[in-house]
Amino acid sequence: MLASLLASHTAPRWWIVFTLTAATCAFVAAAMVLSGIPAWEWRSEHTVGGEQIFMRLDEISAFFLLLLCVVGAAGAIYCRSYWPQQAHPRSAGQGRLWWSALLTSMGLVLTQSNGLHFLLAWESFALSAYFLVTLDRKDPAVRSAGWLYLGASHAGTLALFGFFAALAAQTGSWELGPMTDQASLAPLFWIALLGFGIKAGVFPLHIWLPSAHASAPSHVSAIMSGVAIKMGIYGLVRFSTWLPLPVEAGWVVVGLGCASAVLGVAFALGQHDLKRLLAYHSVENIGIILIGLGFAMIALDHGRPQWGLMALAGGLLHVWNHGLFKALLFLGAGAVLHSTGTREMSRMGGLWKAMPWTASLFTLGAVAICGLPPLNGFVSEWLVYRGLFDAARLKSAAAVGAVPAAILLAVTGALALACFVKVCGVVFLGAARTKCAQDARECDAGMRAGMAILAAGCLAVGLAPAFIWPSLLRVAQAWLRIGPVPGVPNHLEPLGVAHPLLALAILALGAAALAMLRGRCRRAVTWDCGYSAPSARMQYSAGSFAGIITAWFAWILRPVVRADLPVAIFPARSAINSHTPETVLESVIYPAGNRVLRVADFVRTFQHGRVQSYLIYLCAALVVLAVAVILYTE
Amino acid sequence: MNDTLNLLIGLAMGLNLLALGTSRLPVLIRTVAAQGVLLGLLPLVLEAHALDWRLVLITLATVAGKGLLIPYLLIRAMRSANIARELEPFIGYIPSLLLGAGGTIAAVALTRYLPLLPEHTGNLHVPGAMALILTGFILLIGRTKAISQVCGYLILENGIYLAGLLLISSTPILVEFGILLDVTVGVFVIGIIVDRIQRAFDSLDTRKLTALHE
Repeated sequence: MLASLLASHTAPRWWIVFTLTAATCAFVAAAMVLSGIPAWEWRSEHTVGGEQIFMRLDEISAFFLLLLCVVGAAGAIYCRSYWPQQAHPRSAGQGRLWWSALLTSMGLVLTQSNGLHFLLAWESFALSAYFLVTLDRKDPAVRSAGWLYLGASHAGTLALFGFFAALAAQTGSWELGPMTDQASLAPLFWIALLGFGIKAGVFPLHIWLPSAHASAPSHVSAIMSGVAIKMGIYGLVRFSTWLPLPVEAGWVVVGLGCASAVLGVAFALGQHDLKRLLAYHSVENIGIILIGLGFAMIALDHGRPQWGLMALAGGLLHVWNHGLFKALLFLGAGAVLHSTGTREMSRMGGLWKAMPWTASLFTLGAVAICGLPPLNGFVSEWLVYRGLFDAARLKSAAAVGAVPAAILLAVTGALALACFVKVCGVVFLGAARTKCAQDARECDAGMRAGMAILAAGCLAVGLAPAFIWPSLLRVAQAWLRIGPVPGVPNHLEPLGVAHPLLALAILALGAAALAMLRGRCRRAVTWDCGYSAPSARMQYSAGSFAGIITAWFAWILRPVVRADLPVAIFPARSAINSHTPETVLESVIYPAGNRVLRVADFVRTFQHGRVQSYLIYLCAALVVLAVAVILYTE
Repeated sequence: MNDTLNLLIGLAMGLNLLALGTSRLPVLIRTVAAQGVLLGLLPLVLEAHALDWRLVLITLATVAGKGLLIPYLLIRAMRSANIARELEPFIGYIPSLLLGAGGTIAAVALTRYLPLLPEHTGNLHVPGAMALILTGFILLIGRTKAISQVCGYLILENGIYLAGLLLISSTPILVEFGILLDVTVGVFVIGIIVDRIQRAFDSLDTRKLTALHE
């Protein structure tokens, strides 16, 4: 990895070789740990910042590291064609450098077992992500998105500083490890939840996520959404097993998860920008992961790890799955952006004919993210559902929470399906709406290879889930801190049989339908209700397709609609324009920020440089203190 | 002993009012000098039973510093800046006087509430120190010319010195000597600054210094 850092600027070929080699090595190491060899620990004699270097690769780290390797490698292959040296002579080298830095620092975050070094790795990870997001920094929108990301990220880091410092102060050492026996550490979980929640993009803390993901180059969006926000999940998973948990922690996490899932997809429906839409789906999927994790915490609290195991396994597997299909979708969106030059969905249309590979791979990812069988999204959601149903059958408070959570999860799935029907329909089907969509060309082999790796991952998890179960069980047991449970059945066995069969059936049906239609088809104009001059603009647009559902969620989405509707008998020129702003950012954060600025302005008038007035302040403070002392002593 | 002490401190407190009420800078400077000399004599009164040559030496140095050297520096700065009056104070002379008188009364009244050692009660030592500090503050706040402010600062220092004398039996007087040295150097530096301000702004009005900020 270090070699790839060095080679990044000068030798693109060597960079890709080194990056792929490093990713492969890390992949093999992680896979070995997941396949059952004992966790790997390494303690160095050297110290950094007065602390001994202590790295540990256990099942949980290995699980996330595996995802990092796959997405990192796919993104590296993809960016050679997407952000080539010829087109971006200045930023391509920087892109390679920061890509390597990002992968290295995320790898370090996953393996560091010392609070101080964890923070160092975390900060360098946040910074390299910032430089990747602002790779194209001539664009003011990119700069402001990067700035927002940096601000939010540092707010999270600040919380983590507090968290690790408090942890070190209470335990007396920066070294991390299981410390569930110290019940006084439980409140620290809330600070960790804030810090890691900002990074993960949990619902009210997700403000940085849409603009950063939308403005970054697509391979960067892919790794940000696929892996970087999972670092927040990693932190929560890691510290929820190492620290004692407050009693309410599970419920809060489930609540945040439900809010993120439903509202994330609702916001996604309102978007017209392809990459922004995908970014909101990240919020949604983080919500699904948190529902799984939260129910595992509740199960731990109730002392019933069996069904917690299922929910946790579902949530964790969703980390992988979301990493795979969301990265695939972002790479696909990048290919579309690369060839049409726009992210606005209503300017696309009919791209399937021009870009069959991209369209097919994107649709595969879309099916996976909607949680439809036989792909990987269904596998993990199925596990979460199983966990929730098991919880619902109990006679306890968990049952009361599990039923609404399951319903909300189902609502999320349905809305996600609606959203991706909209995306695929508006972008790939129909007729080209603008000239840039007409001129679209298929992307080249490098970009397709990057997407194909991820699509293969989706298919592998979807079609052969039973093979993953032992590793998944190992991770979940490591989290629950229980030894190997002998009696846990392989819950993915039935899916392992059903999914290949279903896939075969779909393929057979598709082939049969194709064979039947071939030869019998006749090309004709669509019936146009008697209107004789249809144009490509008379299709459903991204806004109109989702109009009804956006109206249901208008209480939180607050869509801004500027309509100039026809009124007279002979209509004149009319227009309608809708836009869904980032509600939390624009109605909460900005007004609060403005208020703080106003107060600061007012306070600043006290600092005017007149010595005499400063002395009055001094006197007044002295008098107040004297009075307080006298009153207090009496 | 208490009588002499009260007399000296009472005189110093009276000089406070003179300092607050005058608009003429030479009078102000000489008032401060006289106050310094009065207070400089205090160690001799306080330690009358155990006089030795070091105490006398230090007393002499204090008196010389406060009564001769500092006023000399200030008057030189005043002449070189070519001003003799404080013309537009923030707080007028009558209000300053009233404030100072009120502060002095408050200081005497407040002393009853302070948890003092028995040997410090019953004389003007503590209220005198507080009154001097208050007067220094009023001068610092209420005057605009740099030289008046230096005088305010000196009265403030006199108050601190008086408060410090409470500890004379436990603190080495060398510490006080160090403070005096600091003050002298401070006045020296301010003398230079006064000259510079005068050259830069054609005035000694410290309000104009705000033009320097940022």
